[in-house]
Amino acid sequence: MRRTDERAIRARNESAWLVPTGQERTNWALRGRMRRYDPGEEVDVAVVGCGAGGGTLTQRLARAGFRVVAFDAGPWWDPDRDWVSDEAGSHKLYWTEPRVISGKDPVALGSNNSGRGVGGSMVHFAGYVPRFHPSDFQTLTRDGVGADWPISYEDLKPYYEHIEEELPAAGEPWPWGDPHDYPHSAHPLGPNGEIFRRGARALGLRTAVGPVAIPNGRFGHRNHCIYRGFCLQGCKVNAKASPLITHVPDAVAHGAEIRPDSMVTQVVVERGRATGVRYVHAGREHFQRARVVAVAGYSIETPRLLLLSATPEFPDGLCNDFDQVGRYVMVQGAPQTAGRFSEEVRMYKAPPPEVSCEEFYETDPSKDYRRGFAIQTVSPLPITYSEHVTAQGHWGEVLREYMRDYVHWAVLGSLCEFLPRAENRVTLAEETDARGMPVANFSYSQGENDTKLEQAAQSVMEDILRAAGAEEVITIKRYAHLVGGCRMAADERSGVVDRNLRTFAVPNLYVTDGSVLPTQGSANPALTIMALAARCADHLKATARSGVVGEPASAR
Amino acid sequence: MTGRRHRRDAAPTPGGEGRFEGYDVMAQSPFWDPVTAAVVRGRMAQERALAFFTSEEADICRALLDLVLANHGAPRVPVLEMVDQRLFEGQTDGWRYEDMPEDGEAWRRTLRFLDQDAREAFGSGFASCTGDQQARIVQGVQDSDAWHGLPGRHVWSLWTRYACAAFYAHPWTWNEIGFGGPAYPRGYKVLHPGWREPWEVAERGAADPLPWSHRVEKARRAHELRLGGRA
Repeated sequence: MRRTDERAIRARNESAWLVPTGQERTNWALRGRMRRYDPGEEVDVAVVGCGAGGGTLTQRLARAGFRVVAFDAGPWWDPDRDWVSDEAGSHKLYWTEPRVISGKDPVALGSNNSGRGVGGSMVHFAGYVPRFHPSDFQTLTRDGVGADWPISYEDLKPYYEHIEEELPAAGEPWPWGDPHDYPHSAHPLGPNGEIFRRGARALGLRTAVGPVAIPNGRFGHRNHCIYRGFCLQGCKVNAKASPLITHVPDAVAHGAEIRPDSMVTQVVVERGRATGVRYVHAGREHFQRARVVAVAGYSIETPRLLLLSATPEFPDGLCNDFDQVGRYVMVQGAPQTAGRFSEEVRMYKAPPPEVSCEEFYETDPSKDYRRGFAIQTVSPLPITYSEHVTAQGHWGEVLREYMRDYVHWAVLGSLCEFLPRAENRVTLAEETDARGMPVANFSYSQGENDTKLEQAAQSVMEDILRAAGAEEVITIKRYAHLVGGCRMAADERSGVVDRNLRTFAVPNLYVTDGSVLPTQGSANPALTIMALAARCADHLKATARSGVVGEPASAR
Repeated sequence: MTGRRHRRDAAPTPGGEGRFEGYDVMAQSPFWDPVTAAVVRGRMAQERALAFFTSEEADICRALLDLVLANHGAPRVPVLEMVDQRLFEGQTDGWRYEDMPEDGEAWRRTLRFLDQDAREAFGSGFASCTGDQQARIVQGVQDSDAWHGLPGRHVWSLWTRYACAAFYAHPWTWNEIGFGGPAYPRGYKVLHPGWREPWEVAERGAADPLPWSHRVEKARRAHELRLGGRA
């Protein structure tokens, strides 16, 4: 377990001490005294989207004295009143405005990968927060596939450490990638995790518990996990991390304004510089002036917003002079394999994120594919598990019989590093939304390397479950996470933003979300997105001091 | 039919099927937070008036949903009403396939096509075909690449997503499959395979008097019989 200094964490981010104790999960007094900026007043930074990227950036900048307004298209959640411990009732957590999916292998959006509201997709993410491996930053150089990042693992490492402390992350010492340990020790295992460990041990595979963004022990006023298994439905407990409780409270305490239910429809650029954002709140359009704009709407809405913000100066969309906006969107191959055990498993108990194995993460020269995959526990609740069964082609009596057997199944999932492809992209569809704006069309097709990886991951999961005693295994092919679409690159011909997340085309416009990732590794992206946003904040602070970029005059 | 009949009054399961005798998840609802409890109880309110489908569409849709879910015996989960409500509210999954219309229109259109197929093959509308006839038409859609100009697998995805999301949201199905249901603020304390919370109910015949492989084989045979003995 890593030694941490509580005073140092509080001095950096006091959010965990700003959530209330007692019977409420929301600090209403803090929200009530939030600073409010007039739209006509020029703020230092307008942040579009209040999830992993936007929420973290807002907190870091507010603490440094910047005047920040963070917009979110969805609500500012109250876990007590807005969230339920129920699968179907959690529908409003997802981005369900119209979107079109296409390509050879269309990717389901919504509950699978798209959040809405303050906290973003982390409100319904499982909670895994692994780091990327050092190799992820140079896949082109090392393995001849993917792309090299314009930054290295070492550039991000201090930010990984800080964010892990602020979430905080709990887990066993990590033997893979850059070996490290976690600020909180590992949580006890649930039934699904025990099955995974049993199988892996039989095969001689190393596993580690975690890393999950759920404190294990005292951390500010956050409540301890109650192992109820509804992590993907929004944590009513205030145990699992999301920016709603890990970064937004501290941002508000330091003068940031959160403007929820406000859909940004255009980044306004005049004479080569961003001047603010146009947004719709309660059916009315407003304009917020800002010295710097940071877009953090994730891999579908960020490219869409840039494309929708076309001007005579940028006729093909902002920052799109080299046809890079919306390209190289990635999803991880995420096949899930279920195994049937004669004993009752009841995998719905305990958080779905429990145990990981990164033994297959790196390129294995003996294989006919590059890069690799990770394996983790996933514990689908009944509706999601029914998709697993129908994916086998079962319906009618057979579907019912499999579902009736729900308590006997354990499920593993893998994350396969599917490679970036220029043709996997977000474009504007002909269809328009309720505001008359074209919706996003996300086209996706797998490559050959991807399919081989997926197959390899599936057979390892089948082996593990059989080694644990499964008498039958069934697999569903699916995708997880979204990254890319406005990737970070060395120059404007190969990406949208530079190593500091500043767009090449507009000097005071930034993209600070998962869409900047050039490759995706086999790691869940939340921690990396937060770390990148925190690093970008340091860059903005430095440029403000030297008076170069957005020149936020009030920032000290 | 593979499960023993339950006492229906105490712990309803769809069609009285299931292996967790007497397990009633709603008996736990006093331990749920009020917001969740209200959402789940509201879902159990029966006999809602239809708001999206016409009565003709509703008949076809009910037959389709009940077939796909083997939702035959009483008590019957009101899946049609749940799907109708969802379509009326426009509560989509947040995406549609490029080669499919938006969900509401896709439902209307595919129900019409089902009816057309039934009239051509069996001389009567889908809703008045026998279960076996309906099953053969529906299996044809699952097996087809293109069906009335729509990709068969995308039609299948639409139907099963809506059907299962409604059916397995209903507490009667939780009774049937032994799922613990909402768990806030109580949580769980017994986390080992093969162990149960004090309120969880042991599966009848947990020692598998009829092993899993036999049970599922029986269900497969029943399904194939419906399809006219296809292997």
